[in-house]
Amino acid sequence: MTYQTKRGLRGFLAAGAMAVAATMPLKAKAEEIYNLALLSDFSGPYADIMPILAGGREAVFTWWNETRGQDLGVTLNYKNYETRYDAAQVASLWPGIKSELDPIAVVGLGGPDVAALSERLPEDKIPMFMATAAYGFAWQPDAWIFNPRPTYSHESAGFLNWMREQRGGDEPFKVAILASEASPAYVDMAKGLELYAEEHPKEIDLVEVIYTEVQPTDLTGQMRRVVRAGAEALIIQTNTSIVVAAKRGLQANGANIPIMMSSHNGLPASGAALGGLEQLEGDFEAYGMAIAADEDTPARQFYETLVTEYGLEAPWNVVTAMGVSQGLYTVTVIQHAIEANGAEGLTGEKVREALFAQTITTEETHGFLPSLTFTPEAPFPLEGLKVNVGTVKNGKITIEATGVDIPEVKKW
Amino acid sequence: MVYFINDIITGALIGLLYALVAMGFVVIYRASKVFNFAQGELVIIGGFIVWFTTMQAGLSLWLSIPLSLVLAGLVGYAIERTFLTKLIGESVFSMVMVTVGLLILLRGLVLLVFGPAVRPFPIIFPLKPLFVGDMLIPMNLLIGGIITIVAAVGLSWFFNRTRSGLRMTAVAEDHVVASSMGISVKGSIAFAWVLGAILSTIGAMIFLSGKSLTFLASDIGFAALPVALFAGLESIGGLILAGVIIGVAQSLTTNYLDPLIGGSLGSVVPYIIMLAILLIRPTGLFGWRTIERV
Repeated sequence: MTYQTKRGLRGFLAAGAMAVAATMPLKAKAEEIYNLALLSDFSGPYADIMPILAGGREAVFTWWNETRGQDLGVTLNYKNYETRYDAAQVASLWPGIKSELDPIAVVGLGGPDVAALSERLPEDKIPMFMATAAYGFAWQPDAWIFNPRPTYSHESAGFLNWMREQRGGDEPFKVAILASEASPAYVDMAKGLELYAEEHPKEIDLVEVIYTEVQPTDLTGQMRRVVRAGAEALIIQTNTSIVVAAKRGLQANGANIPIMMSSHNGLPASGAALGGLEQLEGDFEAYGMAIAADEDTPARQFYETLVTEYGLEAPWNVVTAMGVSQGLYTVTVIQHAIEANGAEGLTGEKVREALFAQTITTEETHGFLPSLTFTPEAPFPLEGLKVNVGTVKNGKITIEATGVDIPEVKKW
Repeated sequence: MVYFINDIITGALIGLLYALVAMGFVVIYRASKVFNFAQGELVIIGGFIVWFTTMQAGLSLWLSIPLSLVLAGLVGYAIERTFLTKLIGESVFSMVMVTVGLLILLRGLVLLVFGPAVRPFPIIFPLKPLFVGDMLIPMNLLIGGIITIVAAVGLSWFFNRTRSGLRMTAVAEDHVVASSMGISVKGSIAFAWVLGAILSTIGAMIFLSGKSLTFLASDIGFAALPVALFAGLESIGGLILAGVIIGVAQSLTTNYLDPLIGGSLGSVVPYIIMLAILLIRPTGLFGWRTIERV
């Protein structure tokens, strides 16, 4: 075959390939690019869990872009902003974030983000999606900041009702709360449960609310009061250092009152701070989200997919679950908005409308969250609320109960 | 009644822990007239050194504790040599501002070197409390209280009865005058920082034994501040009384008032006492009154 013949053959093949390609049905390509602003704390009080949480939510965005986004013709870009968990820092960063990214949604972290942006976001018409449970002080209608979980007080009330059922009997369940005035969010967690206990004296007997520092010097005396009052459970939704100090205080008193923790200070984090999960044998974590236990659940399977196919490096624990949950309900709402309005011209306002328009099913969040129906009345779903309960058995985290009903908690 | 007495004892012991941390303030102040705002950060640096030598390096407590104290002393020395030596003879205000910078720098360094994770601190003192009848006394606080009293007696003797201690006091009065009298200003200030870092490390061991370690532990520096100011910044012996008064007041407030008001007045009480005493006696209970003759 001569050089000319080879060239001619190549040209013929290339032309043929182009012709075949032209006749094939066009696969949708990602054409629209939208931005998400991720508020993160890599150097403040939650710096220890942030890389894991961030890993979870970022892996979901990658997964969504490569699966759903490609078909819809949308790519979601994201950028992390360091807030140091400081409301002042968030407030000062926000104008820059807005002008740099023009985001269609903000992916928030905690109380300072809510405090700093609750007045700004309605003006800027950009919704913010949180990972955590909600706060009583942010329980307002027409919200622009949303939580997939009800307030911490809802979650603890659900847990306590479940504990009372497990115990049996008609007597109210005796409980103490350990909180801190270091953060308005910590106080809020206690206030909501206090009100619930006041209104349900036949169910809950709140023996004491103890306020302490975020790194307590010694809680032996306080725990002695709790023991003497006959508390059957201790609610600690603040941080791991308080869990550790309370545990030591209980141990000093020779008592073993079960502690209920939340997601951000849950069993793995508090166990690590105590020197081993076995020290929390019989204690609980409870929240309206999948429990990251060894059991094979849809949530666990989706996590494995993220690890094997989308480069997620975070371990299977509650913090990763929090990040993945947050990412999943955020992309689901955006997907609903795209399906309703088309890929072009998506705005924060349309994303928020989609949140109210359609239920986010538990299947869409791969079992990480219960089905979520948002209404303009509150920043979190008000009906069908559920809490899951995890515990430590034989040194391992196991699922103790799923889909526990959360009672109605009045606004405080 | 038993519980009331128990609360007083526990409060007094917590106050003695504050006094030990406050001793770091006083030692540095007595040698240089510098109020070290980074005292709480020295506590966490000490804490991380202890954690590293025990939990990471796997040394036994008998080895790791003395080694940690030596390392903490070296850190104190390095801080003084790096940041403060050059300021000798300059205004005290400059040195104080350096300690404010140190506070931020050390906090950042801890995050950078050790990371942000909450870590289990080794159990240095027995977790089982001492039972005296119905009374329960935490062992770490009890042993810590004894250490504080011994340290206070020893340091009081050192500063008031030895030539080296008196030299340090002279340095605090005026760097230039002390230097002209042949006293090594650099040496005195460096020694004070070494001592301050060692005391902070002992404080960290008592405070954190069996608990968790994060940079939040530096807050104890602020908790010790009222004790230092209440006692008067020059008085080491006075720290014991000030610590006990503040600790007992805090304990009684926490145990008897806080449950009634549903708040955390106990954490504010030390500052209220501090402000009250400073209004009545600005130099603190045992602080020196300076008489200037013109």
